[in-house]
Order: sequence, then structure tokens, then C-alpha cells
Amino acid sequence: MSITILKPGIMSSIQDLGRWGFQKYGIPIGGVMDTLSATTVNRLCGNEDGEAVLECTLHGTEIQCNETISLALGGGGARATINGEPVSYNKLIKMVSGSILKLHPDPYGCRTYIAFVGGLKVNKELGSASTYMPSMLGGYDGKNLIAGDTLELKDPSLYKEKTKDIVINENGFGSSRWKSSSFALPHVQEITTINCLEGPEWDLFDEQSQAHFFSQPFTLSAQSNRMGFRMEGAILSLKEKVEMISTAVTRGIIQVTNQGNPIVLMADAQTIGGYPRIARICADDIPLIAQCRPGQKLKFSGLRPVEIV
Amino acid sequence: MSFPRIYSIHDQALTIEFSQEISEESNMLVIAFQHAIESAPFKGFIESVPAYSSITIYVDVDCDLSAIKEELLNLSMQLTAEKNTDKKNSIIIPVCYDPTLGFDLPWVAEYLHCSAEEIIALHIQQIYRVYMIGFIPGFPYMGILPEKLQVPRKQTPSMKIPMGSVAIAGKQTGIYPAEVPGGWHVIGRTPLKMFDKTKEPCSYLNAGDMVQFKAIALEEFNQYT
Repeated sequence: MSITILKPGIMSSIQDLGRWGFQKYGIPIGGVMDTLSATTVNRLCGNEDGEAVLECTLHGTEIQCNETISLALGGGGARATINGEPVSYNKLIKMVSGSILKLHPDPYGCRTYIAFVGGLKVNKELGSASTYMPSMLGGYDGKNLIAGDTLELKDPSLYKEKTKDIVINENGFGSSRWKSSSFALPHVQEITTINCLEGPEWDLFDEQSQAHFFSQPFTLSAQSNRMGFRMEGAILSLKEKVEMISTAVTRGIIQVTNQGNPIVLMADAQTIGGYPRIARICADDIPLIAQCRPGQKLKFSGLRPVEIV
Repeated sequence: MSFPRIYSIHDQALTIEFSQEISEESNMLVIAFQHAIESAPFKGFIESVPAYSSITIYVDVDCDLSAIKEELLNLSMQLTAEKNTDKKNSIIIPVCYDPTLGFDLPWVAEYLHCSAEEIIALHIQQIYRVYMIGFIPGFPYMGILPEKLQVPRKQTPSMKIPMGSVAIAGKQTGIYPAEVPGGWHVIGRTPLKMFDKTKEPCSYLNAGDMVQFKAIALEEFNQYT
């Protein structure tokens, strides 16, 4: 039982919840950018949360199934069709052998997640199926997916039991009558507000920069990737020049370069960094920023630091 | 600011900072902390990430950070720096300093007003401490270079630094485990693999290791496969 990538689209890769335990060797955690949507599609399929899924950036991805399979779509950044007919996100879907799933352009969101009932058969490397391109780890030979790649599913028969109530329509697919509630899932707005806490070096920034950070809009730059999102907007500066000693950084940390631009560190963030960290994004809002695309306007909102640490 | 300082960088990560300088003393505390916590991990501990003068502890999502913070702070107070300067424990890294491999040697020699031979002699005479592994998987940050060997980073990073390149910048020396862009000056190359995903551990060096370089001829370099 397998699927074939007809077109990878802008970028498609295999990811799970990350490669934990190897950061002391310089290996990033990685994994899905939007953990909430990825977990949701796995749960729709009845999979474990950590099961490997496909992460498809924006649109263009086309996938054909070589047998009848069942899957779920979540996240955003695209509209989906199966054999030409629109299909919903956040539902369980069954599609017959030979069907083609396509992701088309959509103005909202950035990353679609696809989970398969029974899960993808992927060799884990260093404990994870997540593709980490710079070190060729995980995924499909350590690489993003390309046209012609064929992925096997682990448990060929599992879908039958789970999707026996789904009626196949004249276009060769059907979807569950139920869907996951979407109010808690990331919803990108015209100007998306991202909740932050002050970072370890917040006090080193001058008053104007502190004020601008929490009041001015920023735009997600085209120079963004799975490692980090570069932000354009107010230039942030330190009270005085400081020599930072490199220390651990992670997903959600917002560091400021020497030029004064904030960079939000994302899934493939390096383990150690040396720029001052003005803020960190609240863990609950990381899936939301993961669904923002280049050009998206953002506002960082300050949550009162909770006095735990 | 008083040390140790403890703060969170994520809902699942706490950093304990022993100082804000690159010093052997602080890094010894970092490594002592790492060994203490890894030999007796508390419930919910995932991993630790040592850096120059700080260590970051990652924990399960359902851990009570404030309770763990107390515990970590207590532990950090009880530590004594772990010394590891015994020469026979140092790891020998063979390096070929042939100018075809150490292609920045001429620039470094000119900048420092000395010969390539003097640079090589300075680089191999000392035992270096691995302060941390980072930048890319398996990249060791080692130091502290003798003052006579200290050069600023390249103004513009090189687009491709070959795998195994041994390089210097500021007080540090390092080894590129893969072909990547980089801003340090390459003075030689080791035939050893600093990162190998099929090995356990996958990194040749660990934070806290002591390293000495040994000069090898181009013929010997070529004999490694």
C-alpha cells in the first residue's frame, strides 16, 4: 500500500514531533512547524501524536494513492481537491486507488499536514522520522520530497475498520460526517497577533525598541525558512553594544541581528545562538506563527511575565 | 547581575548561566552540571545542552517548571568545577596543514606577521578544551587559542568550507563537520569525521573533552579513507 508524489509543490517533507535528545551534539529538534495541526490530523486518523506526517508548504503538491487509503488534511495555506472535487480539511477521508489529491493556492495559512491511517513507513534516524535537510537526516533519504517518490504505508488494512462508515462518492472519495472542531486551531488574520514573553536579554534593549517591539507591525520576510522567520519593521537596538556569549536557543525565541531585525527561530532552529533575545513566543502561539507566510503582517503582544521563572 | 542566573527560553526549557564570559572555570561548572544531571535525571528530564558558560535543560511539557527551577538552582550551588586537564586523556586529532587544504594559512601568516610553520607550531603545542558542540551537528567550539594566533573572523564568510576543515577565529578553533558556508579561517584539514549519523554517539567530540592537534603530512592524510 503506497502513495506516489506526482508533484512536491513548493516544498513537501516528512516530519514528526522532532528529534529530541541530540541537541548537545548540535542537532536541532526539528519536526513539524505547526504541532497543533499535525497532532490534529494524526488524531483524526486514530494515529499516535508522534506519527510521521507530510508537511506541504503552500500549494502545488499532488499525490496519487496506489491503493484505497484513508487520510486526513489539516493546517492551511491551500485548498484541496481529490479527483477535481473540493475536499474538507479536518475530516477523515477515504479515497479509492488511483485517486489524485491536489493542493491549490489559498490566501490563508501556510502549511498543510497530511496524516495517513496506519501511518507512513519511514526509517527513523536518531530517533525521529523528521527530515532535516542540512544533515540529510530522517524523512525520505534525508531529503525533501520530489516527483516520483513513493511512500509505503505501515498498516495496509487498518483503514477498513476506521472508515467503514464513509460513503465513496462518484469522484472516488468520501469524508467523515464529523470533523475536528477548529476554534482552537491556528487562524491567521489580516494582522495576526502573536503573544510573547520578554526574552532573557529584554533589558538590554533601549526603551524605544522595547516600545516598538510591542506596538509596531512587522512583516514576515521572504527570507524565511524552517530554521527561522526574518521580520521586517522597526529597527531594534541595544542600549549599548554588548558582546554576547553563545548560549542555547530554541523554537519561539526572537533574536535580534546586528542590523536590528528580529528573527523568530522555528522548528529547525540551531541549538546555540549568539544574538540578544528580545522575546520568546508563548508556546501556544508557535503553531499560529508557523501558519504565517512571507508578507504576513504580525503584531507581537506582551503577556505579563508569569512569575514562575 | 548575580550568578548562577536561571531563566526559561521555552515552556519546556530552563537555562542556568554560570557567568557571561568564556572561561575554563565556567565551562567546567557547565560540564559538572551536565554530568550530575545526566547521571541522576529527574522525572521529566529530556536533554541538556551545554554551552560556553551556561547549560539548558529541556523537560516534558507537563513538568512544573517552578519546582524544577528550585532543584536546578540547588544543584548549581553544590557544584565544584570538574577539572580535566590531564594530558593523557586528551584526544589527538590528526591535521594536515598543507596549504592546499589549509588555504587561509597565507592570509593568517601575513596578518600575524609570522610564518606558516610558526602558526602550525602554535596551533599544535596546546591542549584545547571543547567548550560546546553547535552551529551545525558535530561542530566543536574549542579554545582558548594563544593570543599570538588570534585573528578576526572573515569580513565576508566563504560560501563553501570543505568537510574536515580546521579553522580559527578570535579565541576559538573549530572543525567543520560538513561542507557549509563559514566565516572562520581554514588552516588545515582533518581526515576524521566529526559527525556520523550511523555512529553512537554521532558526534566525534563532546563538550568538556580535551583535544590536541597533531600535524600529519599530505601523504598520511590521503591514506585515511
